[in-house]
Amino acid sequence: MSNSATPKLKEFARRLLVYEAATGTSAGGGESAAFRVCEKMREPLGKLMGVGGFRMLLSRALTLAGAEIPWLRELQVKADGALGGLDKCEAKLDARATAAGEIVLVAYLLGLLTTFIGPALTLRLLQDIWPKLDDLNF
Amino acid sequence: MKKNKIPAPKSPKKANPPEKVKIRQLRTGVRGLDDILGGGLPEFSFNILAGAPGCGKTTLAHQIIFANATPQKPALYFTVLGEPALKMLRYQQQYSFFDPAKLGKAIRFINLSQVVLEKDLGGVLEEITREVQASNPSLVVVDSFRSVARKALSGNSEMELQGFIQRLALLLASWQATTFLIGEYSEGEMRDNPVFTVADGLFWLTQNVERNSVVRKLQIMKLRGQGSVPGLHTIRINDGGLQAFSRTLGLVRKKVVPTKRRRLSIGIPELDKMLGGGVLEGDSVLVSGPSGTGKSALATQFLAEGLRCGEAGIAAIFEERPQGYAARARAFGLDLDKPQKNGTLEMLYLRPLDLSVDETMQEILDAVKRINAKRLVIDSLAGFEMALAPGFRIDFRESLYRMIAALTGAGVTILTTVEIEDKFTALELSHYAISFLTDDIIRMRYVEIDGQLRKIIVVVKMRGGNHSKDIREYVITNKGVIIIGPRHTDYARLTSGLPERIGPLEEVAPEPKATGGK
Repeated sequence: MSNSATPKLKEFARRLLVYEAATGTSAGGGESAAFRVCEKMREPLGKLMGVGGFRMLLSRALTLAGAEIPWLRELQVKADGALGGLDKCEAKLDARATAAGEIVLVAYLLGLLTTFIGPALTLRLLQDIWPKLDDLNF
Repeated sequence: MKKNKIPAPKSPKKANPPEKVKIRQLRTGVRGLDDILGGGLPEFSFNILAGAPGCGKTTLAHQIIFANATPQKPALYFTVLGEPALKMLRYQQQYSFFDPAKLGKAIRFINLSQVVLEKDLGGVLEEITREVQASNPSLVVVDSFRSVARKALSGNSEMELQGFIQRLALLLASWQATTFLIGEYSEGEMRDNPVFTVADGLFWLTQNVERNSVVRKLQIMKLRGQGSVPGLHTIRINDGGLQAFSRTLGLVRKKVVPTKRRRLSIGIPELDKMLGGGVLEGDSVLVSGPSGTGKSALATQFLAEGLRCGEAGIAAIFEERPQGYAARARAFGLDLDKPQKNGTLEMLYLRPLDLSVDETMQEILDAVKRINAKRLVIDSLAGFEMALAPGFRIDFRESLYRMIAALTGAGVTILTTVEIEDKFTALELSHYAISFLTDDIIRMRYVEIDGQLRKIIVVVKMRGGNHSKDIREYVITNKGVIIIGPRHTDYARLTSGLPERIGPLEEVAPEPKATGGK
């Protein structure tokens, strides 16, 4: 099976995470950018696919990403589709390793969406979540 | 004494009666469906899209919402335990009506599977209410409602399901939403089903296999507030989504404009004379004869003469390719290429073997409308019938009748060819029994004369006036069909194909005979 996290998608994921780290806010605060990206996607995608549907998609992304970045295998997807264990893992890692893992995870999640519904609809969904993010393209 | 005049009581001013409610109609975005529905979808109606899997229910719903939803008047699409939403989007975006820009603001997909699995009917209704109140949608789709109904019936009474549907219909009507519930139902389930009782509109889609071809049909079984076209209408799903072909071909509403009928030349002066001066404008002419007698040549001459007089034409051909048709015309000195380039002639080559008769007729009607055609050639009826899916051949005569009646009523003159096998005992006109469709019948046939297979032509019928009763001999030359000489009075029983010479024996054959070996 082809790798759905292409270098282009990884670059896009990197930019998205940088943007989210700089501008994103969440209720709890202090979470990693990858957690916030997944959380922001969970609500609209959950509405579209159902909570179960989003949980499956994120689990699949995690499995694929874990093959590339082993520490990601320690993460779990909770019943409500939220990503669990990220803070604990990241506490043990340096910033570079953390960033690399987060990029790969988000890239696989976007890659799966692109595989199913194509880049146009995926970008459309992302645009609704991050309306101010410039240069939405991959 | 002066009499006081008592003024006559003033008649009370007549008040205008209060106006009836006007039901606005939404366009469906489905070619042909608005006509079938009697103008469009009644606004705020509560509709069921029912049928077996694969009939096009989801595609139909998508097409309707993409045609109508705007950010100001959005559509809510609830998915329930059916096709996963991601896959639905994956497939539906292949259709040309799918506009990704509408997703999110104008069209919102909401997955209700979890709610249906975890909550009771009250919870489902609560969730729908919450979403409807938040979005104020103009259109709502529940796909599949069958899943909701199944859940409703598991452990609940039918009364509870009825109550749920009633409340749902009330909610959506109050919120001024036009609603579609999609369900995989079979016809047997219609009886006593509360869903069907509450619904304002019931769209039934079917898919039947007829020999080797698949035939999709749509029936509007119920539509409150307006008259729809009854019966089964063919539907087709292609890249553009669903297309519907009304049984009446959308022609029932067309105004027939009475015209002063002219005589049109057929392009063969002697035949014009036989027709009493030409074919009456708006007539349907049937040209019948066996293979090789020149029916297509005559049809080409009819079209070319029209083009020469500035009348646009359509050739719906089923047996030959347009290039071959044009090449034969060229051999007769008739140019069909230039008129095609300048848009006064269209050659429709309709040969796919699973066409519905209504689709084919729609193609022809669209072309006639497109170039304002005055002459139409259908060459030939046998080819036309062969191009249809087997299941549609039953409807052939009925549909042909509707199309011919509508087009001739609008002033289009139609020439149809039909191939028949010559019998050497009788003069058959057509084995289609379609003479009721035609105003005029021209019969061409072979006769055996003096060791040659020669050709004769006769005008059998002309509804609009007198015509020649002569049986004339003709030849096909590099100028097309040429009628030669006066009528044959030297023979008896020409129509049998085996005439008997009753005149003098000296006769020069119209085409040279082979000479003997001596």
